[in-house]
Amino acid sequence: MTQPRHVLAYWLFPCALVGALLSTIPQTARGADDPRVWLERMNKALATRNYDGTFFHISGGRVETMRIVHRVRSGRVTERLQSLDGSGREFVRANDELTCYLPDQHTVLVEPRQDRGPFLGSLPQFDATVSDFYRIEALPDTHILGRPARVIAVNPKDQFRFGYRLWLDEKTAMPLKTQLCDSHGQVIEQIFFARLDMPESIPDSDLAPTVHTDGMRWVRQGPSVDNASAALAAYRASQLPPGFRLTVQGAQTLGDASAPASHLVYSDGLATVSVFIEQSSSDSGVAAAPDSQAQAPMQGLARVGSGYAFSTVVQGHQVTAVGEVPAQTVEFIAHSVKIYSGAEIPHH
Amino acid sequence: MSEQIREQVSAFLDGELPDTETELLLKRLTRDGELRESFGRYALIGEALRGAGSQILTRGFASRVNLAIDGEPAHAPAHAHLTRESRWWRPIAGVTVAAGVAAVAIVALQQRAISPHLSAAIPLTAQNVPAPAAMKTAAPNQLPLQGGGGPREALSYTVPAASTDTPLAIAPARLTNYVFAHSKYSSGLGQRGLLADMLIEDEEPLPLPVQRAPQPAPTPDTRVAP
Repeated sequence: MTQPRHVLAYWLFPCALVGALLSTIPQTARGADDPRVWLERMNKALATRNYDGTFFHISGGRVETMRIVHRVRSGRVTERLQSLDGSGREFVRANDELTCYLPDQHTVLVEPRQDRGPFLGSLPQFDATVSDFYRIEALPDTHILGRPARVIAVNPKDQFRFGYRLWLDEKTAMPLKTQLCDSHGQVIEQIFFARLDMPESIPDSDLAPTVHTDGMRWVRQGPSVDNASAALAAYRASQLPPGFRLTVQGAQTLGDASAPASHLVYSDGLATVSVFIEQSSSDSGVAAAPDSQAQAPMQGLARVGSGYAFSTVVQGHQVTAVGEVPAQTVEFIAHSVKIYSGAEIPHH
Repeated sequence: MSEQIREQVSAFLDGELPDTETELLLKRLTRDGELRESFGRYALIGEALRGAGSQILTRGFASRVNLAIDGEPAHAPAHAHLTRESRWWRPIAGVTVAAGVAAVAIVALQQRAISPHLSAAIPLTAQNVPAPAAMKTAAPNQLPLQGGGGPREALSYTVPAASTDTPLAIAPARLTNYVFAHSKYSSGLGQRGLLADMLIEDEEPLPLPVQRAPQPAPTPDTRVAP
C-alpha cells in the first residue's frame, strides 16, 4: 500500500507528543518498579540486543518449537524465525525485507517490511490514549527458568481487545514468557523460552536460512501503486469500539483481483484491525467461474492465528475485517461499514 | 507420557525445572510429536487448574462487587510461592478457585439485577458502546450520521456474543491474502502471533496468496523487481 493519506497524523501527533513528554520523565521519577518502565526496558532489549533462543508457541492446544535469532550490528537488524517442527518454514528479515521460506509449498515470498518491530514483538509506549483502554499493573515477582522475573499484566478494559501478561527477566528485561489473554484473563496464546542466549556477536551462519531454495518459486510482493476506485474509497466504519481510530487508508491489490481493494487500518494504539473493501464480481462485470470460490460473496467468521476475520457484503461490495482482536470486534467493525458521499467521508 | 516426564513438564511450565533438565526436555519435545501434543494439552489444563485467568477474573469481580457493596475494593490475594512439591495440590486448588469465581459471579449478577441504576455510574467501556445497526435491526448502510459523518461511540450497548460457531466462511486463499496484507500494520505482539501462525505447519495444505501476475523464478541474488 502506498500513498496512504496522513490520517495517522490526526491522532498520532498528540499521542507522540504525550509519549515524548512521558519519555522525558526520568525513569527514576516514575520509579524503577513502574511497569511502564519495565515495558520500555523490554522494548529496548528486544530491539537492540543480540539474542538466540528456542521457545514454545502454544495456541489452541498445539505446541510448536521455534528458534529466534536477532542480531544488531552497526545499527542494522537481521532476524531469523524458524519452525523446528515439521514445516521447516523460516522467516528472515534483513535489509528492510521480509523473506518467508515455505519449503512445504516450494515457495519463497519476499516483501518489503520497513521499520517494523522485532519478530518477538514489542509494545507501544503507554501514553494517555492507550491507558484509557488498557490497565497496566505489576503482578507479584516470580521465577522462570530459574531466574527472577518481573510479571507485567496489560489488561484490556473491555471485550473489544486482547491483553498480555509478560514475564520479564529481572536482569535483561527480555520476555521469557508471554501470554495473550482475553478480557476475562483466559489465555489464548502463549510463548515461553526454553533457552535464551544473549551473545556479544552472532555469526552470519546463524542468520542464514537452512532451507534449500533450489527449484523453489520466488514471489516478490511489491508495494502496490494502485488507487482504489472512488466508490471503494468512500467506505468507512460508521461506528467503532472505544479508542479505535483510522490510522491508515490506501489501496492494495489482493491476489489476482481485477481491481485494488480499499484498505483501512483502525487501531487503538495497541490492537489493529484492517478492513478491506473489494469490488464484487457482479460490479466488475466479470463473471465468476462456477467453481470459483475466490469470487463468491463471503459472509461469516474465520479464525486467523490468535485473531479473527469477518466478512460481509455491504451494498454489493465485499467487506472483510481482520485483526488480532476478539471475534466481536471484527464483526462490529465490518457490520458498521457504510458508504459516504464525498464531503462526509470521515478522516479519523 | 511417563510419570517422570509428566513431572518434568509440570515443573517446566511452572518455571521450576533446573536448566540441565530443561535442555533434555527441550530435545525430547523437539523430536517427539506425541509428547508435544500432550505438552500442549497439559499447558492448557495447567492454566485452567491454576486459574491464571480466574485469579484475575476473581480479583476484578471481587473488587467491583465490594465497591458496589461497601465502597472498598477487595484485597488482591497474596502471592503464594508454589514449590515443586505443592504442585499435587493444584487440581484441588483449581476447583476451589473456580467455585469461588462462580460464587462471586453470581453475587455480581444479583447485584446488577437489583441495581439497574448502577449502570449510570459505569465509565465508558465496551459494554456501553452502541451496536452497529446491522446487529440490531437496520442495515449498516442505513445508519444515521452523527457529527458530520465521523464514526461514533454511543451510550448504551451490550456486546453481542461472537458467533464462534459460524463455519469457515472465507475462502482460504483470500484469507491468506488478507492476513498477509494486514500483518504489515499489526502491532508488535499481535504481529508475532500472526507470523508464528504462518510458520506452523498446516493440518491441511496452506493456500498460498494468489499472485496478480506470474513471476519469473530468479536466483536469490537477482530477484525480480516489483
